[in-house]
Amino acid sequence: MKKILVLSLLAVFGVYLLEVLFKIDFGHQFFLHGVKDFYLTTSPDKMGVANVVTAIVVNFRGFDTLGEVTVLFLATTAMSSILYKGRHQLGERAVLFSSSRIVMTGSKLLFPAIILLGAYVFIHGHLTPGGGFQGGVIIATGFLLMLLSYEDYKVSHVALSLVESLAGITFASVGLLGFLNGGTFLQNFLPTGGLNNLISGGVIPIIYIAVGFKVGAELTGLIYTALNEKD
Amino acid sequence: MRDILEIIGLILLLIGGIFLFLGGLGIFRMPDTYNRLQAGTKATTLGGMSVILGVGFLEPGWIIKAMVLVIFIAFSNPISSHALARANYKRKNYPYLKGGAEYDQYREVYVNQENKEENK
Repeated sequence: MKKILVLSLLAVFGVYLLEVLFKIDFGHQFFLHGVKDFYLTTSPDKMGVANVVTAIVVNFRGFDTLGEVTVLFLATTAMSSILYKGRHQLGERAVLFSSSRIVMTGSKLLFPAIILLGAYVFIHGHLTPGGGFQGGVIIATGFLLMLLSYEDYKVSHVALSLVESLAGITFASVGLLGFLNGGTFLQNFLPTGGLNNLISGGVIPIIYIAVGFKVGAELTGLIYTALNEKD
Repeated sequence: MRDILEIIGLILLLIGGIFLFLGGLGIFRMPDTYNRLQAGTKATTLGGMSVILGVGFLEPGWIIKAMVLVIFIAFSNPISSHALARANYKRKNYPYLKGGAEYDQYREVYVNQENKEENK
């Protein structure tokens, strides 16, 4: 009975979706030369951003990205508030056996390389594929490697929340500076520079570096709390 | 000069492709964890290294990046396979040996270590 109900519900949804889908005339002029051409020509020519995806994410839809960062922040806060039971109650980690000396030495050697790669990915977010979110995740994996290979590796929660808050404040205040320069929220007010230069694209590199720091700090804090969960 | 570099690069790509294929086949065909680890890390270390070096030879501008990647693989792949094999051993999944456990030399060391730690 339940399955029939679900199936009929799905059929109703499907009919409505198909109706909308048939209304779209694919191959029409609008799809060939609509908003796509606007993005593809505006972002390299006027904004000096080589990576069009970054231009859309940070500039055209910067407000949306601010919302995404907030969603991530809320998710990590919620998970930390479930797992974190008090300032001095972080328990000993459940360690089956300690890692060998080879792993310890190797991860000490690899950790700076991973952090460097993460920083490269978010600093070059407007030139090459990647950006703040990806770079932040790479940095968090570096910290995860250190936490897995050293049982007593400590990450300061105070420093993490400081970095996270400063990055968030940077993002929002860059957005507010757009107002001061007579534009709208998150509008570009810096010179755009030449295409394919490291310093180009106006406010986009600043925002993506802030996003990278913020995501890295958030995910590192999340991993740290999850590993040190007290039973 | 350019042609020689191209030929070297293509040969390296071929070697890398063969070894990556053998690694995949080994993961599919080998009987236990240790043999699979050997296929999945040794073969892919050589395969990945030679593919990346081959790309570096084909595009001489990328050779430095390729060298950095090769060094990274040379560090990370053996370390990770070591960690996996060690964790597997400590979970008491001992390797299958035809002659019995007396051929497992690591077990003697490991049991001695455990005894020492217990005596402390």
